[in-house]
Order: sequence, then structure tokens, then C-alpha cells
Amino acid sequence: MQHVALSIFDKELCLPFFDRLTELFHEHHHSEEQDPDGYESLLYRVYRPYKPEMLDMIDGWMGLEERSWRAETQREVLLSLYAIRYPDTLLIESLTDKARSDIRRLSAYLHFTHHTYSIWDDDTRKGLGKLGIDIPEMREADPFIYGAYVSSIELLKDVAPFTCFLEHDVPRQRLFQSALAAYGRES
Amino acid sequence: MADTEVVESYPTNFETWIEEFNEWQTRIGFDPSWLGDYRFDIKFDWDTAGDEIEFGDFEGMPKWNRRMQIPQQNIMDAIITMVSVQGDTEFASVEQQNHLLDTAPTEYDKKSALRIMCEEQRHGWQMAYLLCTFFGEQGVREAAKLLERNAQEGTRILGSFNEPIDHWLDFFMFTHFIDRDGKYQLKMLSTSSFKPLAASMGPMLKEESFHLGTGANGLRRIVKQGVIPCALVQKYVNKWVSTGLDLFGTDDSTSAQWAYVYGIKGRYDERETAESADRDHLNEASRDLYFQELREEMGRISKARKEGEPELFIPSDKFRRGIGKYAGKNFTVDGEPFDGSDHEWEEYLATVLPTEEDEERLVNEYMKQEWIQYREWKGN
Repeated sequence: MQHVALSIFDKELCLPFFDRLTELFHEHHHSEEQDPDGYESLLYRVYRPYKPEMLDMIDGWMGLEERSWRAETQREVLLSLYAIRYPDTLLIESLTDKARSDIRRLSAYLHFTHHTYSIWDDDTRKGLGKLGIDIPEMREADPFIYGAYVSSIELLKDVAPFTCFLEHDVPRQRLFQSALAAYGRES
Repeated sequence: MADTEVVESYPTNFETWIEEFNEWQTRIGFDPSWLGDYRFDIKFDWDTAGDEIEFGDFEGMPKWNRRMQIPQQNIMDAIITMVSVQGDTEFASVEQQNHLLDTAPTEYDKKSALRIMCEEQRHGWQMAYLLCTFFGEQGVREAAKLLERNAQEGTRILGSFNEPIDHWLDFFMFTHFIDRDGKYQLKMLSTSSFKPLAASMGPMLKEESFHLGTGANGLRRIVKQGVIPCALVQKYVNKWVSTGLDLFGTDDSTSAQWAYVYGIKGRYDERETAESADRDHLNEASRDLYFQELREEMGRISKARKEGEPELFIPSDKFRRGIGKYAGKNFTVDGEPFDGSDHEWEEYLATVLPTEEDEERLVNEYMKQEWIQYREWKGN
């Protein structure tokens, strides 16, 4: 998929974004709304064996309302977090409707347990669109759309110049996803 | 063995060099199976390398793509030296660190260290490729030497790369302070007039950022955990900063000046700064930027300390310097001249640098506890 994506990738369109990537990252990730300390804390507080309380912490940081899931749904999601391996997203298809009903929530669980999966965010999607990478809107988790979203961010990581890469304690997917979100919000 | 036989035994090309590299891995105790699916690719970023020489006496002319385009033998020799020194440090660090994998505090740290060692080997591999591909027999000979010198035998070119790294606190110090110097060197070469060298730096710098992050975050996790007292951590900071500063070379360096004149090695902020270069003090300028960055980073690390613990700081750039205008003179960590006798100086050093007792306490007391904040490996 990455090879196909590279053949239609417009690097020129990305240059203004790459030039400002670190500034855009700071604008989004270090905003009060994003609570960067809370984010960093989750990097350390979410680990195996995964527990419902860890999902609660992620929900809290994301500002999501409390999950109204049955115990089986919760168990199903927790088990899927062990099973999934990047770049697979098809596993999402096997989840029940309730678990798939909110891609923001599900992608956040995936991100904090496997950094290679990015948090779904509509501003980030718009940011990708400005780079010529059109990803459809989504509320319920669609494995193909989410797969395209994640691998597009991964692709950007591959082609970005070294000046984009900060050395601090933020996974690179978060670095790019945050910068894209700030970029997507700009008119 | 006669000298001629030694020369004849050198590999004839990069493919043969790879065989020597495989033997080197075995010799230093790096099990190739640890690499998993990692491959030593040759990576270039031609987009960031630039087409025109950016500074020095050849400024504005096309960058050199091949050996034959390099106008003078002494410029070629200088490039070979730069590539050789860079490659030497890459392999040295693996020799210094690979024994630590068995004692990693967490799986996360083990995998991080392994990734760093894989990438350092790739960087050395890239430098060997440049030597073998672009510089004929002279390059091939230098590439072979990258695998002959050895950190444990103290024969690596730069002092810091012969220092033993006995435990994980030293590892984090090394990746924070010494790899940060590496970042500076790579960035200074990223504007080189020799285009394959400049184009090699982008991918290496991308990888290097993870190494620095591992060091800085490792130190921060140690300070946050609060098991190893900050006073002891400070002693290790004092130990590593001076060696990091020395890596920038002598003051008033003529070789740095020539490298700038030839356009093969720029300033750290060559593309960002509008100021013209002070060619007599190039090393000092880069060192000052590095020193300033160390201070900012230490402020960030120190913030994580527990209540009541002393603030961590970067010692004066005059303290314990091996080269430059402060070399051989006694200054305190605060930068004040030390007026006491040699004996008093040794006593003072024991209060600011790790002693044998400190090492003993660190390894056998503190490191027996949960001394570093736990973190799980989740990819990057």
C-alpha cells in the first residue's frame, strides 16, 4: 500500500507543511485543550495487562463521555488490543457495533497501546486533505478508512525531512497527527 | 606479518567489507539474530542535500557528486577523514553498549537500546559505503579500519568512544550527551559540498533523534522515580558533560577552518543563521550552541525531580576539560579557579565525580530497586 501511495504522492504540496511541522505540533499538542502533561502521563500509565480503568483514563484525556458498554463489549475491545498488529486494521471489522460506534474512542485506545496507530481526529483528516491525501469523513470505525488514515501518516513520517523530527517524549505518529490537526484547522 | 600483507588483506570492495562487518559483529558479541527483520539499508535524502555549495570558497558552485569532481587532493583527504571519524564513532558506540542488553531495566529500554545499536551500525555501514564507493583504494582501506579499531581496547579515534559504559545510568548519559554531540556533527555535515555525504545525513539525523530522546527521557524517568538521589545523578552529569564538550575539537581550530573553506563541514545553524561565519572560532561557536542546549535540556529533566531533591545543573564549560583553553587547568563545577594543592584537587573531584563507592552503591543498592519509571514498549 505504501508503495502505491508513494507513486501518487505530491511531495511539493507537503513542503510548506514540513517546513512548519514542529511549530504546528506545538500549537496543537501543547495547547491547554490537549493537556500535554495528561498525554505524557498516559504513555506511562497504560500498559499490559490492560484494564478497564486504563480505558477510563484515556476517555478522560480525550474528553469522552463514560462508556456505556456491556461487560462482553469491554472484554472484546481489551482482547483486540492484545491481538492487533500494525498495519492491520481489519480486526476492527470483527468488533461488535457498539465497540465500533466511535472511531475517536477506539483509535485512542489503539494509540495508547500501540503508538503506530494514530488518534482519529477530523482536523487531522482535513490536514491530510490539504496535502492531497483525501480521507472520507467517518464516525463509526471503518477499518479501510482508518487504515488509509494511519498509513498516510506513516507515509508522511517516511518522506519528511529530518528537520521535522523532535527528540522528545512524543511518539512520531502523535507528532505528525498533532501537526496535521493544526494544519487542517487553518483556513 | 609484513605491512604489505596487511594491505593485501584489506577488502577489495563494499561487498567484501560486508563480510568483514559480519565477522566484526561476532567478534564484539553482537548476535545478528537480535536484528530481527532490520536491514542495513543505504539511505540518501537528495532533496535536503542541496545542489550548490553553500559556504566557503567554492560557494555557489555545483556540489560534488563524485571523487573526480573534488578539485584538490587535500579536500578529498579531509572528506575521507570526516567520513572515517563519523563511521568510527558509530561502530564504537555499539562496542561500548551491547553488553548492557542483558541488564536492561525494562523490555522498553532493551528494545530502545537495541534499536539504537541497529541504527548506529547502519550509520557506520553508510559511512563505509561512502568510503568504498567514492574513494577507491584509500576509502576501502579506511573502511576496513572502522572495524579494526576497538572501543574496549581504547583504540577508537575519539576519547568519549573509548570510555567504558558500565551500566544503564552511563548509557542514558551517553545517549543524552554524546549522541547529542553526534547530532551536531551530522547536522554540520548535512550542508557538505560533497553531495553523497550531505545526502547521507538526513536519514541519519532522523534516526538520531530517537537516540537523543531515549537518553533525555531515560534521565527524566530516573529523576522522576527518585530512587537514585539527584546528588548522585549530578556526579554522572559532571562526568559526561566535559567529554561531550571536548568532542567539538580544539579552539581556534585550523582544520575546522579549512573544512569550512572547502565547504565540507558547515556550522550547526548554517542554513538558519544570517550571520557570517567567524572562521577562526568555528568549533567554539558550535560548542556554545551545544552547551546552551544542554542547559535547557537539563532544566527539563530536573523539573521531574521529587520534592526536596537538589536541582540538576550543567557544570561550567571550564570544568575538567581535556582540550582547549581550559585544558590542564583546575576549575570547579561552578567555573571558579581551584587554588588548592593537587591532593586537595583530587579530594574535590571525589565530591563532584562518581567514586568507586558511588558506583558500588549505584549498582548494588539503587539499581536493585525499581530505579527507573516503568514504561512499556509500544512501537514508535
